[in-house]
Amino acid sequence: MKQLMTRRQLLRLLAAAGLGPAIAQRTVADLASPAAARPKIAENQLAPPSNRPCYPAVMRDGRVIQPERPLAVIEETEVLVVGGGPAGFAAAVAAARAGARTALVERYGYFGGQWTGGLVLLVISSHAREDGRLVKVLQGVGGELLDRLSKIDGAIVHHKPDQFNPTTDPEATKFMMDEMIREAGVKVFLHCWVADVVMEGPVVRGVVFESKAGRQAILARVVIDATGDGDVFAAAGAEHERRFHAIGLVHRLGNADRAGLESLRANGIKSIGSIEPLPAVKWINLRGPSTDCLDIAELTRLEMEHRRSIWLRAQQLRQKPGGEPLFLLQTAPQLGVRISRLLAGVQQLTYEEARQGRSFPNTIAVGGAQNAHHRGWPIPYGVLIPRTLDQVIAAGRCICVDEKLIEDMRLLASCLTTGHAAGAAAALAVKTGRRPREVDIAQLQQLLLRQGAYLG
Amino acid sequence: MLTRIATRLGQRRASILSRCLALAVAAALAWPARSAAWTSVLLPALSPFLAIGSGLAARAAGWIALLALPVLALGLVRPRWFCRYGCPVGLLQESIRRCPKSRPAPIQRRPRLGPGLVLMTFAGAVLGYPLFLWLDPLAIFNGFWNAGRQPWTLPSVAAGLGLPLLLLLELILPRLWCHRVCPLGATQDGLAMIGRQLRRAVRRSSARSQPISAGGRLPPARRQFMAVCAGLAGAGFMRHVYPRPSAPPLRPPGAVEESRFIGLCVRCGNCAQACPSSIIRPDLGSSGWAGFLTPILRFDQDYCREDCRRCHQVCPSGAIARLSLEEKRRRVIGLAEVSLDACLLAQGRECTACLRRCPFDALDMHSPDGGFSNQPRVDLAKCNGCGACEAACPVRPARAIRVRETALAHPQAAR
Ligand SMILES: Cc1cc2nc3c(=O)[nH]c(=O)nc-3n(C[C@H](O)[C@H](O)[C@H](O)COP(=O)(O)OP(=O)(O)OC[C@H]3O[C@@H](n4cnc5c(N)ncnc54)[C@H](O)[C@@H]3O)c2cc1C
Repeated sequence: MKQLMTRRQLLRLLAAAGLGPAIAQRTVADLASPAAARPKIAENQLAPPSNRPCYPAVMRDGRVIQPERPLAVIEETEVLVVGGGPAGFAAAVAAARAGARTALVERYGYFGGQWTGGLVLLVISSHAREDGRLVKVLQGVGGELLDRLSKIDGAIVHHKPDQFNPTTDPEATKFMMDEMIREAGVKVFLHCWVADVVMEGPVVRGVVFESKAGRQAILARVVIDATGDGDVFAAAGAEHERRFHAIGLVHRLGNADRAGLESLRANGIKSIGSIEPLPAVKWINLRGPSTDCLDIAELTRLEMEHRRSIWLRAQQLRQKPGGEPLFLLQTAPQLGVRISRLLAGVQQLTYEEARQGRSFPNTIAVGGAQNAHHRGWPIPYGVLIPRTLDQVIAAGRCICVDEKLIEDMRLLASCLTTGHAAGAAAALAVKTGRRPREVDIAQLQQLLLRQGAYLG
Repeated sequence: MLTRIATRLGQRRASILSRCLALAVAAALAWPARSAAWTSVLLPALSPFLAIGSGLAARAAGWIALLALPVLALGLVRPRWFCRYGCPVGLLQESIRRCPKSRPAPIQRRPRLGPGLVLMTFAGAVLGYPLFLWLDPLAIFNGFWNAGRQPWTLPSVAAGLGLPLLLLLELILPRLWCHRVCPLGATQDGLAMIGRQLRRAVRRSSARSQPISAGGRLPPARRQFMAVCAGLAGAGFMRHVYPRPSAPPLRPPGAVEESRFIGLCVRCGNCAQACPSSIIRPDLGSSGWAGFLTPILRFDQDYCREDCRRCHQVCPSGAIARLSLEEKRRRVIGLAEVSLDACLLAQGRECTACLRRCPFDALDMHSPDGGFSNQPRVDLAKCNGCGACEAACPVRPARAIRVRETALAHPQAAR
């Protein structure tokens, strides 16, 4: 209970004081306006009948057949971002700021993907070391998000100039992502699960998604696949590889500040979790077994098994001396899928190339080192562009790098920077009327620099 | 009389000219391009002192030993030929000598240490520990050049001090080194004497006996005997009594067993200079005082590449054995060891830096509690201690995975 109180207090704090009166006022006004625009609806009032046509699947010769049907196009936009995780968020903000009409479709009800919904709170690889100097590679949209979080009390830790790998509060992160998306003027569709693409010949023209409103379509000039799993490019038939990886479930313990750490240590519990901005809460990573994240039977089994073992383990902890006050605050709303599909891009970046810091003429971001003690590496534009598909750009943890490097590139900071680059590239492609693969690299790099990105 | 002076002068000029040339060649050999690192072995390999000492100690002689043969053969017929025409150290000393014309009066009174050093070294070598091999002037010369190409750190500066010290000595006590100490010079004296004996024997057999002019004399037999005993005792002490450090340092792959290594290594710095990963550093203490400036491995920046054996190729003394690439890959430098208290993976972080980096697939992920906590596990059958994991580990200040010395590192038992 205490935790929920703290949370509410935090939110109130955010709204009231967090970013100074100007932003707070704007925020409150924004929150108020959509509601004000709608006529007040009495509770439990009868709704008008839906005019949605029905096209149910039918049985034909013992097979389930989906009849052909027209889909409502609810939006036509220039840049469409699918997936609102770190990559999708950064892409949408960057594209909109670059002047493109931008929409974002997300299957869940919030932004941040694994970061907020997966409770993966530690932003690894935000920095690298160049000639002994600490360099911040996470700049641009993602860097701005962190900087703005640092202006809110209790939203981020380890974000001082000489620090790296900050940890953020998930609710503060969601809040600030909402803010930035709104400010950038991105049109958002939450609770919409993209199920397919709209193709015209070899070119992707938009996506089809499912929601409570049924199956609908959005058309776009360029689609950014930031689903983490490459749902868009896979649906469009782009070449890719599928990988099995460890799937876990992150969870959090409450009352961590009241636990007797000394006694717990004496009983073999070295740590109860990783630091969070809220002193009372710790988050715990769980690796889990390596399996197929596209197999729903596996996902179902894992979700339930993980939750069971997490519950049991938390109970065990509570029975240890010093662990009594601890409680299981939350298991992550999203299962922790690390790697699933990797794009076959026009260019592949390998672990060895990254290790040697190979430079590229088409660098669009710089990868950061695990603990900021090693060198960063340039990331070329080609890793975002499907080899065999047009009008789609990939970003985040499904881009074209080898199986070793993806372990670094899937970390939050890199997803934010590749997302930013994808967004800027998409906007530029729309503006200059070119295909994403033909975007002028010098122009793209200039745009990225203007948007505050770090290119080395 | 005049003609004699003239020829003397001519000889002198020829000697200086030839040695200047030799110095230039020596410097070029010792300062090779990275891709031609192997040339640095050529200069020290010319030394018969080094060749005999290391050959005895290592009980083996590679093709490198052949390089010393011409010098050795010429030494039999021409006393101190190499000193006069080849030695770069001698030339440098001569060039800074304050009064080149002054008679070497001061050193006449000093004892001749050279023959003793040579005898002690060769006697020790029989027991596997050539005591003063590191005094070879050509190794010292290389040590200077090699150190000059390293970034300036305390160990690298220390490793290059040999030649400057010799020059300093020359300023204080002119000619002392060349005429009284240098074991390479003394070896040539010995060779010259052997040559005379041989010639005398030949002449006797042809029944034309002639008086032999005095040259580089050898010390009296009693002293020779004492030097041999001292060499044997010293080597015995170093091999069996000298205390080993509790945590022996990591040596380049192929290094001979530790108690012989510190004796065989001539501190020429060739291996450190040739190493493309710059993981070989001169030691300032971790292997005890006797191991001063011997090469040790540090994996803080890089690791021992699986496709490289340059340190083997440039070692002039066989302290680092010449292994084939296949043998080298299998040779154990040490074994990786994980410190679970520091390991990020063990603390629930998304880190697999060491697992991905291992060129031998010797690391896998292991969970002692069904997936909650994980840790890297070392497959001791596959790990050869190349240090890739240590170099890749992002934990500071101490790495969470480190290569430790192991008894496995030296498959051949102490001989
Ligand atoms: C257990 C675990 C621990 C981790 N720990 C760390 C860590 O400590 N530090 C770190 O930096 N990184 C960590 N990572 C990695 C990092 O969290 C992810 O790789 C990163 O969030 C990927 O970002 P993304 O935007 O590419 O994809 P995601 O974060 O997966 O975001 C994808 C978004 O797209 C949405 N989406 C997916 N499919 C569809 C669809 N069909 N239609 C509509 N929307 C869709 C999802 O709902 C989600 O919001 C961890 C990952 C896991 C799984």
